[in-house]
Amino acid sequence: MARAPHDTPEGLFHFGEPAAPAIVAEPPAPVSESWVHPRGGAKPGETVLITGIAGGQGRLIARRLANTFDLVGVDRTYWDGHPPGLRVHKVDIRKRKFEDIFRTERPSAVVHLAFIRHFRGDAETRHEVNVLGTKRLLEYAIGHGVKRVIVLSSSYVYGALPDNPYYMDEDSALNVSRNYPEVRDLAEVDTLATGFLWRHPEVATTILRPVNTLGYYVHSAIGRYLRQRYVPTIMGFNPMMQFIHEEDVAEAVALALQSGTHGVFNLTGPGAVPLKVAIREAGSTAMPFPEPVARAVFRELFRWGLYHTPPGAMNFLKYPCTLDGRRFRHATGFSPLFSLEDVFASVRR
Amino acid sequence: MPDTVTMLARLATASLPDASRLQQEVDDRMARIPTRLNAYGYDAWGFHTETAKHALALSTLLYRHWFRVETHGIRNIPQGRCLLIANHAGQIALDAAMIGCATFFEAEPPRIIRGMGEYWLPTVPFVNEAMVRTGSVVGVRKNCVDMLEQGELVIAFPEGVRGMNKLIWERYQLQEFGLGFMRLALETDTPVIPVAVVGSEEQAPAIANLMPLARLLGMPAFPVTLTWPWLGPLGMLPLPVKYRIYFGEPMHFAGNPSDEDDVLGEKVDQVKARIAAMLADGLSARGSIFW
Repeated sequence: MARAPHDTPEGLFHFGEPAAPAIVAEPPAPVSESWVHPRGGAKPGETVLITGIAGGQGRLIARRLANTFDLVGVDRTYWDGHPPGLRVHKVDIRKRKFEDIFRTERPSAVVHLAFIRHFRGDAETRHEVNVLGTKRLLEYAIGHGVKRVIVLSSSYVYGALPDNPYYMDEDSALNVSRNYPEVRDLAEVDTLATGFLWRHPEVATTILRPVNTLGYYVHSAIGRYLRQRYVPTIMGFNPMMQFIHEEDVAEAVALALQSGTHGVFNLTGPGAVPLKVAIREAGSTAMPFPEPVARAVFRELFRWGLYHTPPGAMNFLKYPCTLDGRRFRHATGFSPLFSLEDVFASVRR
Repeated sequence: MPDTVTMLARLATASLPDASRLQQEVDDRMARIPTRLNAYGYDAWGFHTETAKHALALSTLLYRHWFRVETHGIRNIPQGRCLLIANHAGQIALDAAMIGCATFFEAEPPRIIRGMGEYWLPTVPFVNEAMVRTGSVVGVRKNCVDMLEQGELVIAFPEGVRGMNKLIWERYQLQEFGLGFMRLALETDTPVIPVAVVGSEEQAPAIANLMPLARLLGMPAFPVTLTWPWLGPLGMLPLPVKYRIYFGEPMHFAGNPSDEDDVLGEKVDQVKARIAAMLADGLSARGSIFW
């Protein structure tokens, strides 16, 4: 007997065929709060500003939205060969010139992706772009009558801790600075945006926290990690990890824009597998190291600039940071198009 | 760890004359469990049927040949979500494994128990993975609610470490029960099955608990038994006591899950009293600790 898709917190996409009739659990609890802004979704033709448009995820979101909206993009680097009908400005979001974009283009919606998530540059620039950039952007949004703001945060803000439940919901604490202090700026960005959400109920604000994003175009730490020939892991640890395809993230941003969501949302994909299965499926080989060795080696490599991931990131190789994605699915009807196999195929060596 | 479990299970089962029959039995019963698996064979909480099968085969050896477990009242377990509440003892959680074998081999249809583990277990290399692959998770509220909502059979030991690491002269004296399970039962409207395990409390008689050493090692307890740590890993082997597991009738509770501790405590005491009564019955029914 085939089983209907079930409303698990994870929203498993591919179901095994159960041999016996499954025990029917309670129907999903209806979402009591409304997660859609009274103003409703963005209408076709509205002007949408995308920050960080030249990045991998930015380009995908731009392509997804290009036919529906009047798109304006800003980035620190120029996007050669961008789709026609799209205005890309080479602007640093920390500079005054960024406000001119709001003045001249008068966007009604902003999709904010201009974050530095890697550690190749200096820490000061990273902090300024992430925290100061977001703060400025939110100020300009209020000053220039923007009606919708979407901030692409990430699942990492919850942190990977041993007592994390599987399926953390949006009310879980943002604990990442407890054992991975190097990314506290990203947690701060999320907090800034959440504060904005409550202070300005007139703006439809959406904070999306997608799980590990993989794909051909997106530049993610987890993508770089899985694409290595030999992948270092911590001996005796193999946490469950959720993945989502970059195109599904772009689709979710479009859905959030068009349905006018208002709130904080986890964004989960087709499901979770143990880290080592992900490594195998990406065509790489796991190399387990005892934890004290791994910590010492990573700390020294990072200190001398030979490896660009701080040792705190190792907690994500030990403990789960898996999210409950029901709120966004209930609010928008989102369902990932790409299966786990598709997701891994997109990074296979 | 799953590899270690697999290897141990192969070694142990290969030495038995009915090894292939046992494997077949485990396969057949596992096939009847309605676990929702993804394309890679994992369920939403990291349970992996292939690893669990080996762990079950290994536990079955203990269940049938070492502890010769006698199970009573297994039919009391209802379909759908349910909370098993049991006494906890014996220094290592073999009581949980034996209850798991009972629900897997004796219940109709077979059920997998979902344990709510101590907070330090996820930090122990290999143990964290073995725990998750065989169906347990760290015992936080959200995990328990999610599992009950999906109709799982959740087991909790409200005595926790207090019960697990009690000393031999405290055997069958139920320690203080945590209230968390009652809040969850009320919140999710889940029936509670009291479970009494007779035998586990004598499997590894502890004569001392070295707390300073435990703290140094970051463990919740460091028990000293007649054989541990003197005989090394071999000292962890439990005595071949006779296990008797009693599943009581479902208890239904109603009320406000955020009531004061006193109000919840009364309900918890009802469960505790039922377990104590079943333990007393079980103790009077047995001839000796080994038979």
